[in-house]
Amino acid sequence: MDTNDILGPVATLALWSMIMWVWMYATRIPAMSRAKIDAVGMVGGTGKGLDDVLPPEVQWKAHNYNHLMEQPTVFYAVAIALAIGGMGGGLNAQLAWAYVALRIVHSLVQVTVNRVMWRFGVFVLASLALLALCVHAFIGFVVH
Amino acid sequence: MPESLLAPGAVLALWTLVMLTWAAVTRFQAFSKAGIDLKSAPPGGRGVDLEGVLPPLTNWKSHNYTHLCEQPTLFYAVIVFLQLSGGDTDLTRGLAWAYVVLRIVHSFWQSTVNRIPVRFAIFFLATLCLLALSALAVIATLG
Repeated sequence: MDTNDILGPVATLALWSMIMWVWMYATRIPAMSRAKIDAVGMVGGTGKGLDDVLPPEVQWKAHNYNHLMEQPTVFYAVAIALAIGGMGGGLNAQLAWAYVALRIVHSLVQVTVNRVMWRFGVFVLASLALLALCVHAFIGFVVH
Repeated sequence: MPESLLAPGAVLALWTLVMLTWAAVTRFQAFSKAGIDLKSAPPGGRGVDLEGVLPPLTNWKSHNYTHLCEQPTLFYAVIVFLQLSGGDTDLTRGLAWAYVVLRIVHSFWQSTVNRIPVRFAIFFLATLCLLALSALAVIATLG
């Protein structure tokens, strides 16, 4: 059991975020040209402004990319802390893989059918895996 | 004081999920009051769509959860830099604990009273702690 095992899921989710970034632009740029948006002359816009202009399925990719910059950042912090503290192997590594697998499923749900109830169910399961990691970090670093 | 500079980070990560739970519990209570059934929600709905639909007091919890996924992520990175570069000192531990305590106070304030000048003052103090930690991290990593 190696304490660096937990860095495998960390690297996987980081790479997955970049895949979602590619997917976002691969759908956004063609949609912008279909919508006759002149990106060259644009000043000061943000991705949010496109919610009113581009089809929802296109924006769902961007919504998910944004989500990947939210809760997973707490995951990265906790996972790296556990690795540094010698607690990144065994159960914690498995919980981290579960978190990453669930976040990938969450991405696929959000960018395809995007039924809110399904997305919520996957998000709750992922959050529970993260909660377990947070509790382990708390016990390891604060209570011990 | 606990042994590691990472301890305050672990506390803040756990606190983030406590806020997530608080936001979810109050949101579902508000759903049933507003007669919203999540099963019949249109595809693609998100938390931001609930602005103006659910009461502000409900949405404030979720605003705070969102904020906890913003600046604190910089805090996590900075304490990891300090930990890995010999910057784990009484000063950095004190600043890190102060940051975490202030962020927890900030959460309670935003979720309940939420008067802006007070929230701004708490945020400002927390940011000063983070600024000091960031400067110390630059010094520690440049060696």
